[in-house]
Formats: sequence, structure tokens, C-alpha cells
Amino acid sequence: MPSASSPHKTKEIAVSVRALGLTYTTAIDRRPTLRARAKSLGRGSKQTRVIRALDNVDLDVEYGQVLGVIGANGAGKSSMMRVIAGIIPPSQGRIEVFGSVSTLLALGVGFNPSMSGRDNVFLGGLAAGMSRDEIADHFQEITDFSELGEAIDAPMRTYSSGMFSRLAFSVAATVRPDILIVDEALSTGDAKFKEKSLNRIKELRSDDRALILVSHAMATLRDVCNDVAWLHKGKLVQRGAPGVTIDAYQEFLQLGKSAAIDEDV
Amino acid sequence: MSTPSQVYEPFKAGLPPLVRYWKSLWSRRRFISEYSRSELREQHFDSAFGQLWLVLNPLLLSAVYFLLIIIIGGASDALRYAHLTATLFLFYLVANSLTGGVKSITAGQRLILNTAFPRIMLPISAVVIAVFKFLPTLVIFFIIRSVLGLAYSWQMLWALPILLITIVLALGLAITISCINVYFRDIASFLPYLTRTLLYLSPILYEASALKPALRSLQALNPLFPILDSWSQALVYGQAPQGSNLLAALAWAMGIFLIGTYFFLSREREFAVRL
Repeated sequence: MPSASSPHKTKEIAVSVRALGLTYTTAIDRRPTLRARAKSLGRGSKQTRVIRALDNVDLDVEYGQVLGVIGANGAGKSSMMRVIAGIIPPSQGRIEVFGSVSTLLALGVGFNPSMSGRDNVFLGGLAAGMSRDEIADHFQEITDFSELGEAIDAPMRTYSSGMFSRLAFSVAATVRPDILIVDEALSTGDAKFKEKSLNRIKELRSDDRALILVSHAMATLRDVCNDVAWLHKGKLVQRGAPGVTIDAYQEFLQLGKSAAIDEDV
Repeated sequence: MSTPSQVYEPFKAGLPPLVRYWKSLWSRRRFISEYSRSELREQHFDSAFGQLWLVLNPLLLSAVYFLLIIIIGGASDALRYAHLTATLFLFYLVANSLTGGVKSITAGQRLILNTAFPRIMLPISAVVIAVFKFLPTLVIFFIIRSVLGLAYSWQMLWALPILLITIVLALGLAITISCINVYFRDIASFLPYLTRTLLYLSPILYEASALKPALRSLQALNPLFPILDSWSQALVYGQAPQGSNLLAALAWAMGIFLIGTYFFLSREREFAVRL
């Protein structure tokens, strides 16, 4: 969301999460239909399964902080990011957000493969909440960063998956929100581009911005973050300095500093 | 301590703050137009043959229905053909809004799960697409009208407010049905029968005045009836439409729009977990 708010000072609260709980009720039936509803009326009960994704989580993020969020698959990391971004309403608790939030939860949201890369820069940028003028101002920067060259005018369905995600990341990295949430969007492209996108994230670190990074790349988080939160099965296990928290997490996984967990960006 | 710019609390059915919602929607108007344009292009309407088809399709439809009128023995003069094309094209504006709107939320799943934005944008852009498809057919109608040698008059300007009312109705219907489709996915397969029924219940293949007295009661249940009747009066006959028809059309359009929007806005925060 574009913001007209005044610059934020370091140590001011950016996001305040209080007693957050989130439960999903998923239907056993594949799709909700009128037919399925009529059938369950006859049985008198709904066939549903309740999943507890987040359980009583308290978390404050301050401006100037770069918070890494770690945890095994299904720990509720992505769910928490979606709740903070206002995409999913919480089941319990309260979230207060002080500033404009931009999300990078998946790459290429709003892109249309039948349009050219050029059109998609505008489409993706507008979807991310930028204005058309802002995108036009940054257009050169975006295409240069994506290293697409003349391919920018070709339809996106002709792109390789690497080209696709490079352009998507370039668009997303141009948004300048107060609070940026990135969910495993850094592992795009070849090693060179990974390095480049990591540097871009480092550039985004500043005293008047809060960054929340979800990642399984422990080396990256040790490098970039100044704070790490560890979630496990919907609960906040530990919060603190990156070294300490990540060590504890890796010990918990009984993997130690093995290559498999340290290498991937 | 400053006040938070956003507060998220457990979902309750109820309206979000409307002023903020409207501002957020208005700030994304460019996205609505770009999104609609890209959807149109997806349907190949940017190629020469695609645009030709956009014009050819309603022309062929009107030819087929005119054939039907001749076979079942209705009046088949120039006026009747003008009436058929005028009302049929406007009907397709509403029908296309419905068919485009019904899956707008479920098809926008990726967008909805990954970005926060006013969800009502998606059915709105379905209506924008339907309007884009409607405009060339309006040009075709005026060509047909001139070829048939019908006289022009200032009363035809009544078509403008009627078109506005139709768009409000189309918005209301698209918003309502996109929301229903989130909860009952089979509504999309039921929709063709609904639009087909609406087509026959509307004064398109016949004149409004030719309806059997026994069927008059159905007329009151069809929001399109007063709209299409007034549209034909203004555009085909060059006469001012009846005030009662205009009022009924406006009441239907506003009613469906307001109820549908209320229904949608009070539910939309829950869409992400329902997809």
C-alpha cells in the first residue's frame, strides 16, 4: 500500500501481535457446493477438519529491525505473514500495524503470461500498490536489475522460469513500503542473481523500515537479520539474537551446521 | 504512541470502514483498468480477428434470433429487427458481467492469497470487461439503425441514463454472484440456465406490449424488463421512456447493487480462507 505517513523512527513499534491464534476449518469435501451442502443437511453434520495454524503468539517488530522467521514446514510462518499483511483475519487476538505494508509472499502475483514483460511490470507493480507514475520512474531500474534486455517486450509465456522470477523479483524489490514482508522469495535465478537479490534486500535495511524475512536459508538469515523468531507448530519457541536462536533451532533439528541447511540461499 | 494505521481482529460479519475502503479502491483504479485490459487480451481481443469476432458474434446472434422470430411467426419488419439488436446487445452486457463475475473471486485465488486489496475490484473488472465488449456492438447497432432508415431524435439521449442504470445493475449482479460462488461453487454451472431464462423472460424476442396478460406477473420479477423496454423505446422508437419504467429500473438496480455490495463487503475478509 502506498503510504503518505511520516517517516518512522528507530525503535518505534512497527507491528504488534498480541495473543494471535489462527484456526483453519477445511472441508473434507473437495469443493464447497450447493450439492455438498444439501447432502450434509441430510446427515446433520458438516464434514470438516480443524487445523490450528497459530496458537497464542505474541510478537513485536520495531522499525530498524530485520526479523528472520524460521521453523519447520507447517510451523505457521506463512500463515502469520498473511495475518500481519491483512490477507487472512485472525481467529483470536489482535494485530496492530503502524505503517504501510508490502508483501512479497509469492513472485509474479498479478502477472499475466500472455502479456509482454513490459506490460507485466506495470501490472505487477500496480498489484503491489505502486502508482503508474512510480513504476514509470523506476522502469529502467527494474529492467536493468532483471537483466532481461530485449526480452522485456516478448510475451511472458516465452520466458524461462528463471527469467520469470528475475523480473518478478525486480518489480517487487522496487516497492518502498514502511514494512516489507518477504516469504522465501529470495531463492530465484542462478547464483549470481541470488547474490544480487540478497544485496538488494540488504540495501532495503534502514532505520525507518522494518523487514520480516521468512526463510530456510540459515546462512542468509545470520548474515542479514538482527533478530530471529522461531516458530514451531504454531507457537513461538524462541526469539532473540540470530546466532543464538538459529543455533538452538539447528540443534533442535539435530542437523547441526550441516551443509544441507547452510548452503541454500 | 501513534495510532495504528491498520488493526486486524477476528473476523466478524459486518461492514469494513467504508471511507477507508473507498479510498483504497479508488487508489487502485489504474490496476482495475490494466487488469481488465490484460484479461481482454488473454481472450485474444487485441488481435484483428479477435476484434472482428467481437463484432461478428453479436451480429450472428441477432441473425439467429431474427430467424427464430420469423419461424415462430412474429412480426418481422425493420422495427422488429432494430428492437431485437438493441435489446439483445444490452442484454449481453448484463449476461457477460454475470459470466465474467461468477468466477472472478475463485479465479483470482493467487492474487487474493498473496496481496491485500479490496476484493470487490475483481467483480468490478469483470463488468469493465463486459462494457468494453459492449461498446463496439453499440456502434454496430447505430449502423444497423441507419441502414434500416429509422429517424433520429433528441429523445434518444434517454439511452444514456438507462445505460448507467444497466451498468449499476450489472455491477450489483456480478458482485453478488462472485460472492455466492465462493460458498457454492456449482452456481457457475447453473448460470447458463439462469441467463437463458432471463433472455426469454425479457422483451427481446418480443415487444414488451406483446406479452400475454397471464404472464404479466413475471414481468415484475425481472429486473431487466423495465430496462430493456425503456432502452428500446428510446433507441429504436426515439421516444421518451415511461417514467414508471425508469423508476422501476432504477429501484431494481440500486436495490441489487446495495444488497450485493453489503453482502460482499461483510464477507470478503473471509475469502482468503475459503479458497
